[in-house]
Amino acid sequence: MITRKRLARVATGSSLAALLMLNIGVARAAEAIAVPGQQNGTSEGVNAPATREDPAVTRGRYVAIAGDCAACHTDPHQGKPFAGGYALETPFGTLLASNITSDKRTGIGAWTEAQFTRAVREGKGRDGENLYPAMPYNAYVKVSDQDMHDLWAYMQTIPAVDNEVVSNQLPFPFNIRLMMMGWNLLFFDQTPFVPQPGATAQVNRGAYLVQGLGHCAACHTAKNFLGGDKAGAFLQGGDLAGWHAPEITSNAYVGVGGWSPAQIVQYLKTGSNGVAVASGPMAEAVTNSTQHMTDDDLMAIAVYLRNIPGSTATKPQPLAAADSVMKQGANVYSANCSACHNSDGKGISGIASGLANNPALESANPQTLLTTVLQGGRGAVTLSNPTSGAMPSFAWKLSDQQVAAVATYIRNTWGNAAPAVKAEQAAQVRQALQLPGQLAASNASH
Amino acid sequence: MQRRDFLSSALALAAASTLPAARADVVSGGQPWEPGKASVPPLAAPRQGGLAFFTQAELDMAGALADRLIPADDLSIGGKEAGCAVFIDRQLAGDYGKGATLYRLGRFVKGTPEQGTQSPFTPAERWRKGLAAIDAYCGRAYSKPFVQLDASQQDDLLHAMENGTLDLGREVETKELFEQILANVREGFFADPLYGGNKNMASWKMIGFPGARYDFRDLIGKKGQKLQIIPTSLVDNTL
Repeated sequence: MITRKRLARVATGSSLAALLMLNIGVARAAEAIAVPGQQNGTSEGVNAPATREDPAVTRGRYVAIAGDCAACHTDPHQGKPFAGGYALETPFGTLLASNITSDKRTGIGAWTEAQFTRAVREGKGRDGENLYPAMPYNAYVKVSDQDMHDLWAYMQTIPAVDNEVVSNQLPFPFNIRLMMMGWNLLFFDQTPFVPQPGATAQVNRGAYLVQGLGHCAACHTAKNFLGGDKAGAFLQGGDLAGWHAPEITSNAYVGVGGWSPAQIVQYLKTGSNGVAVASGPMAEAVTNSTQHMTDDDLMAIAVYLRNIPGSTATKPQPLAAADSVMKQGANVYSANCSACHNSDGKGISGIASGLANNPALESANPQTLLTTVLQGGRGAVTLSNPTSGAMPSFAWKLSDQQVAAVATYIRNTWGNAAPAVKAEQAAQVRQALQLPGQLAASNASH
Repeated sequence: MQRRDFLSSALALAAASTLPAARADVVSGGQPWEPGKASVPPLAAPRQGGLAFFTQAELDMAGALADRLIPADDLSIGGKEAGCAVFIDRQLAGDYGKGATLYRLGRFVKGTPEQGTQSPFTPAERWRKGLAAIDAYCGRAYSKPFVQLDASQQDDLLHAMENGTLDLGREVETKELFEQILANVREGFFADPLYGGNKNMASWKMIGFPGARYDFRDLIGKKGQKLQIIPTSLVDNTL
């Protein structure tokens, strides 16, 4: 997320046209898609409801699941499916996901198929106004005509819900939709999906799902300072509020190159795979979307991801166990972490994430690890793992130095190797997440 | 049972039954979890000046009592230095001191020893009245407050309390007061340092207790060996 400081830097230090400058905020709203909402507490997740119609509708429902439409367009707390109202908090204000039920007045019941298709693939509202890229139309542009048509067939069967949603809650000047024109010119690549010549049908199916409906790049590709995708960094990891979405390319060190396709499928289907447990925003994606996809499609995604060229990140030498920070980290780990994650770092399958050889933990950016230690976490809740596991917050128990030391230890033990984490980094995460400080040590001193 | 007893206990029962019933939550789906939420140990916030319940004189007296019950020796520091009085001060300001979980609506009949204290007073009130009564006794017997007695005089007094041979007045049950003081001092000596006593985990180091650790699977096979586990406190910056 853009910080106020960063915005100030941009605003003062650049001679960009005013239009472009104003665009920054809105462009950043694109990342709101990656801001974690809440799982709704059931193992099935916020889900597209089943219907009993013709094959196009059945196929369209699957398209809606693969695109994870329901996750944003449903209020997880009281929501009727697709009735909107889910608040996407951005640093510039709130965007509410719109009502996309078949209600004629407050939904999209009065829309034409052409208008619907244009909204999904080009980010234009019914009257041609610009949508904010919190709606990932820059990914959905890859969706095929057939899938769009099926999706429309399905959406028309969604029971009408009268729920007026004023999507644009952004304050001036970010509420000016026209500003998105500039962002679109710069970053919206309107090219439809192009199958890779010479690649197998399976790889191309995976590419289609990952680039389009799955909109994986919304989180897993780094953004430039205007919120557009960085060139040449496709799926090599991205930062979002409180989390680092790890690299998911063929890089075996920090990506998924070290996982077998079956392990990737298991992760997307069940929420964990014996090494990693999906948590944070990814838990939502697994609960609401990927667990409902077919094994064939998940395998296609896995095979494609392992085909994507990765970053150049290579494993350094691990820090020496005799290092004083490593020793401190080992002590903190043994007293606080090992009961669930084990002294060998292997965790408990399906419940507590493995830490040994878990590539996401070795990303250059330790944000996810710090967030999880300080804030706690909950694994994805799925039909095959309905209880999942949860980790408590350690903010009250550990100092910033201890959090940094244990993160450093985890990143450099059991075969892991990654740069050390500094206490200031832990302090920043604690502050950004508005977590309490360590319980006053003064209570223990006299 | 007399008619009056019956009527008053029936009244008390009626009062008790209006208390809210415990309610079980049904959990479905994932485990209940909220980011950053933790159940943190309840700690009484000290008032200005650092004390939570005691006056300074009461704190000093509790420290002197703790030092006779757990005197410093070559095994460990004494109860006063370990912070037992600080621990007790904070506990008396909290739910324990307020008797939050005690039934106190009466009527109060002296029971058997197994039935525990039958008293209208909260633990905090019993400490306050007890310390005042001890000091009043010391004033009459020695013309000095308790803290100024020498160690053997203090011990004599504590022995007399323990034996129930000391009369501390109408409102104080001497033997039970002694037992309460002894129990609270022990708790202060052995509880997690987070709560104010057990300075530097002195008692845990003395007996070889590992403290707030959760996982001993790697050690379970090491029979008959000295394990040398570094004890740790709930919040422990020496780790």
